[in-house]
Amino acid sequence: MVQVSTTVQVRVLFFGRLRELIGVAEEGVDLPVGTTLAQVFEKYAERFPKLAGFRSSMVVSRNQEFAAWDTRVVAGDEIAFLPPVSGG
Amino acid sequence: MTTNIQEDKIELVREVIDGDGLARYVRAGKDGATVTFDGFVRNESHGRATSYLEYEAYEAMAITKMNKIVAEIHEKFAIHRVAMVHRLGRLEIGETSVFIAVSAPHRGAAFDACRFAIDTLKRTVPIWKKEYFADGAVWADGELPPTPPSAKTAS
Repeated sequence: MVQVSTTVQVRVLFFGRLRELIGVAEEGVDLPVGTTLAQVFEKYAERFPKLAGFRSSMVVSRNQEFAAWDTRVVAGDEIAFLPPVSGG
Repeated sequence: MTTNIQEDKIELVREVIDGDGLARYVRAGKDGATVTFDGFVRNESHGRATSYLEYEAYEAMAITKMNKIVAEIHEKFAIHRVAMVHRLGRLEIGETSVFIAVSAPHRGAAFDACRFAIDTLKRTVPIWKKEYFADGAVWADGELPPTPPSAKTAS
């Protein structure tokens, strides 16, 4: 009998003011299969309520590409929450 | 460091950027022009005297995005070689934070490519700057990179 995993493990990264706000730069998390990037953010916003107000002024990346919020995570993904960029 | 077929130089560094060296690096015999962009730390922000800046990056993604910009300017413009270097960490007033050099047989392509490169870098490369003042610090206002609206329609 093949064991079907019901969770996926991903890495989640925060940068800039978001990292500073919650004090987390990077961590591994287990998420239910089918979780969207928006739902990943909601989980963090529950854990760190200060984060919630930043949802409209940030973007998300999956495996180092900017991604849509309804993208579903896959095992091994690297997810990052990114404030507006200000290089240069 | 990443090198491609044109021997472009695309780097994130933590030490002083040698702009003159990069401008020399991109030149070759068949070129007739080099256009450079030197972005450096201003002494004020919105009327407040800046003490210094700190830059951080999502380094792996930043290098990927910088490589994409350089690939794109090679496609769009008749240029020869590109150097694109961004510095991270603490930078003092007047120090170079980003330097881009583009060589080409003719000046038009070099001007256009250099302008496109810095504009695109500022909009799409995951780098952040924090401005320190005598009485505090703020993350600089930035630009939200364009993202696909929905995974269902994205390729």
